[in-house]
Amino acid sequence: MKAVGARLPRYDGVAHVTGRTVYVDDVRVPGTLWTKALRSPHLFAAVTKLDTRKAEAMPGVRAVITHADVPTNVYGHLAALGVPADEPLLAEDEVRYRGQPIAAVAAEDEETARAAVDAIEIEYEEREPLLDIRKAFDPDAPKIHPWGPCYSHYGPHDHRRIRKGDIGRAFEQADVVVQGVYRPQAIEHCPIEPQTGLAVPEPSGRLTIYSCTQGMYFSLGVVAAHLQLPLNRLKFVGGTVGGGFGGKVDTATETVCALLALKAKRPVKWRWTREEEFLCSSTRAPWHIEIADALTSDGWILGRKTLTLHDSGAYTRFSSYAVTKHAFHHAGAYTIPNIEFDGYVVFTNRVPTTAMRGFGVTSISFAVEMQMSRNAEVLGLDPFELRLRNASRIGDTTPNLVVLKDPSSVPVIQAMAKEIGVELAAEYRGMTNAPRSGELLPEHLLSSVAQNGKED
Amino acid sequence: MASEVLLPTSPAEAVAAFGDGAGVTVLGGGTIVMPEIAYGRAALGRVLLLARSGLDQVTRSDGAVTIGAAVPVAALEGGDEPLASAAAHVGDPEIRAQATVGGNLCAGPGGEAPRGDLQAPLIALGARVRSTGAGGERVEPVEDFLAAGGGRLVLDVSYDAPDAAGYAAAWRPHAHHATILAAACARSGGQTRVAVTGAGPHGLRCPSVEQALAAGADAATAAAKVLDDVDPPDDALASAWYRKRILPTLVQRAIEEAR
Amino acid sequence: MKLNVNGVERSVESLALTSLLVVLREELGITSPKAGCQQGGCGACTVLVDGEARRSCLVPLAAIDGAAVTTVEGLGDPESLSAVQAAFHEGYAAQCGFCTPGFLLATHALLAHTASPTRAEIERALGGHMCRCTGYVKIVEAVEAASGGVR
Repeated sequence: MKAVGARLPRYDGVAHVTGRTVYVDDVRVPGTLWTKALRSPHLFAAVTKLDTRKAEAMPGVRAVITHADVPTNVYGHLAALGVPADEPLLAEDEVRYRGQPIAAVAAEDEETARAAVDAIEIEYEEREPLLDIRKAFDPDAPKIHPWGPCYSHYGPHDHRRIRKGDIGRAFEQADVVVQGVYRPQAIEHCPIEPQTGLAVPEPSGRLTIYSCTQGMYFSLGVVAAHLQLPLNRLKFVGGTVGGGFGGKVDTATETVCALLALKAKRPVKWRWTREEEFLCSSTRAPWHIEIADALTSDGWILGRKTLTLHDSGAYTRFSSYAVTKHAFHHAGAYTIPNIEFDGYVVFTNRVPTTAMRGFGVTSISFAVEMQMSRNAEVLGLDPFELRLRNASRIGDTTPNLVVLKDPSSVPVIQAMAKEIGVELAAEYRGMTNAPRSGELLPEHLLSSVAQNGKED
Repeated sequence: MASEVLLPTSPAEAVAAFGDGAGVTVLGGGTIVMPEIAYGRAALGRVLLLARSGLDQVTRSDGAVTIGAAVPVAALEGGDEPLASAAAHVGDPEIRAQATVGGNLCAGPGGEAPRGDLQAPLIALGARVRSTGAGGERVEPVEDFLAAGGGRLVLDVSYDAPDAAGYAAAWRPHAHHATILAAACARSGGQTRVAVTGAGPHGLRCPSVEQALAAGADAATAAAKVLDDVDPPDDALASAWYRKRILPTLVQRAIEEAR
Repeated sequence: MKLNVNGVERSVESLALTSLLVVLREELGITSPKAGCQQGGCGACTVLVDGEARRSCLVPLAAIDGAAVTTVEGLGDPESLSAVQAAFHEGYAAQCGFCTPGFLLATHALLAHTASPTRAEIERALGGHMCRCTGYVKIVEAVEAASGGVR
């Protein structure tokens, strides 16, 4: 590969520095209409009245859409992967988060679109919202969805479970148990380019959609499913995304633009404001993670119990996938023979959460490494040595029964120590990821080198 | 939509155009009004642009300073304290070059951040505002102007350069500052004036602190009295609890700097 | 009203309170300044007005009738990049590129005032410009490179 190790100029670099890179908002199609959405001001409410006639009658308004205009209103982002749909494109009887879109208007200019949204008659009956995932399982917690407080389609279970080995015995045998609670919070992606979409009806009957999505084919599928159109009726044009970081996988504007464009028979653009980005766009999820490690006093981790609550916001979106990824990584770079993992996708009346850089993995990695440091502190051991001892090696199995072929835990931890000027003891300096033997293979780890657990 | 846009080319024209201020929106640099327009929140009426009004003069004579309403905030950097420190932390250089002293003085409590960072320093300096509006021209202390609630066109502010000054603030940790809380202090001869930013809807004078200092209290004792003068709010930037905890310390530092 | 944009006299029909950003993007078809926030908070809309860096989303047209406006298109083109543009390109100071025009113009204005700024001066001058991709290090290094070396 000629490129590896070479310093190549970015192929889009010259366009970036000369202002020639085209983002969705830079595409110019004559006759393009402006879009504004009617969004819920309430965290949780029933919609008791919705009347768009005054808005539709306004001069300059070319189309208004509500749930009634969407051929398949409730379509889950991961429906193709078997995750049941629970989120409407436009709210019907309920709104479950502040900012949830209920209707959208396409008009000749921004001011008219805004005025039309204000002219939509709507009434709500507010409900008590739930914002703390820890309270979601209380019997008197607000019921966001009729089926219960969490996403419940993990096979026969209502949460992601891993069971490996004999966790009870591990905790009985422990010299010390170290517990920690870790609560990484929501992060707003805040790309400098706001969500922007432009849908253009073609004379052929197809729709061309200019999109800032991070997943072109994915968003194409979502729009086609909502609109019940065959895929070949849609042409997606992507290009440079002005920052996404995971937040532009949500197909946030394309479907609404497409529906408005079909109804108005005009090109329609929707560019979110920075306030909409902060208040209504999806974020990285907040998590509540509890870890308890059963430890020997010389620094072996005999077993780990993990409880994870993932704040999915008002709808599932991609959260079921996040918790699954989270589950795979909850032992971190280390081999732990006895495992009890329970991960829940919990609903709250927040904006639905989504992917962000390392979706599901960053949160658990943070918790795992904090826990490892805590373990070392409680045991009075060197934090590097504790990590190196438990670090995964060739032939070790993970909690989800993957047999590791070439884990980089050992060299990476050694490199970390070197990078910050920590001198490791000779024994630890000389470690490699070769298969465990001798002192690195105590009895309790024998089961992890041979497959002996089960994943529910 | 603005019903009319007025662009006076002299102070006298600006005064005439403003009249009694009914139905008039004043646009100084635009840093406050233009976002309101962009977000569809401005009820504009007749809009008076000060860009060419000639209200952008700074005059200094024997320590008496007069700053026109349309003087950019950037012009105060490197000038008299505590104004200079407050000005240097407004937005970034581009914002400071465009935002005006008059606009900052008239900034209403905006969203979740106090926006009138120059108000407290001007109060501490004992500055007087010359304004026009219903009833004609008027000169009054800044704190009285702010308490009266607006609706007037600021023409200029004047103060006498102090003997010493102090400024202590808590900012969001970023180059692009949002001031959470600030204490401004200026001393001339035996009199010390103290005012704070971020403890109310606009800059507020602290008479209890000033009286304690006048009665001979030390900086810490006097500073503790600030909570008799203000009731800081809860907002997205900081809780009332946090503000109450650190405000006396900021006031103390400002007083000590002005020794 | 009239504006001299990148050296060309343009007649402008937009209303008096239209922001310079909207005038440039929607009336004149110059799309390099970006609508990142419409509140002056991000710097993606920055252009030069009479040589000074300004947030175009905050400037009403009537306040700058007759002024000279410079956008990135006026700095240089692919065949002849300005020193600042070349430094940003060669230094990988742009990833998604959305914030780049604003940074380039603010840098030009800085270097016109201060030929060899210190790192602190660079950070103070550009501190109001947001970038969510690069982490700013390569941007600062590009400015140093454009100004003729590290101080």
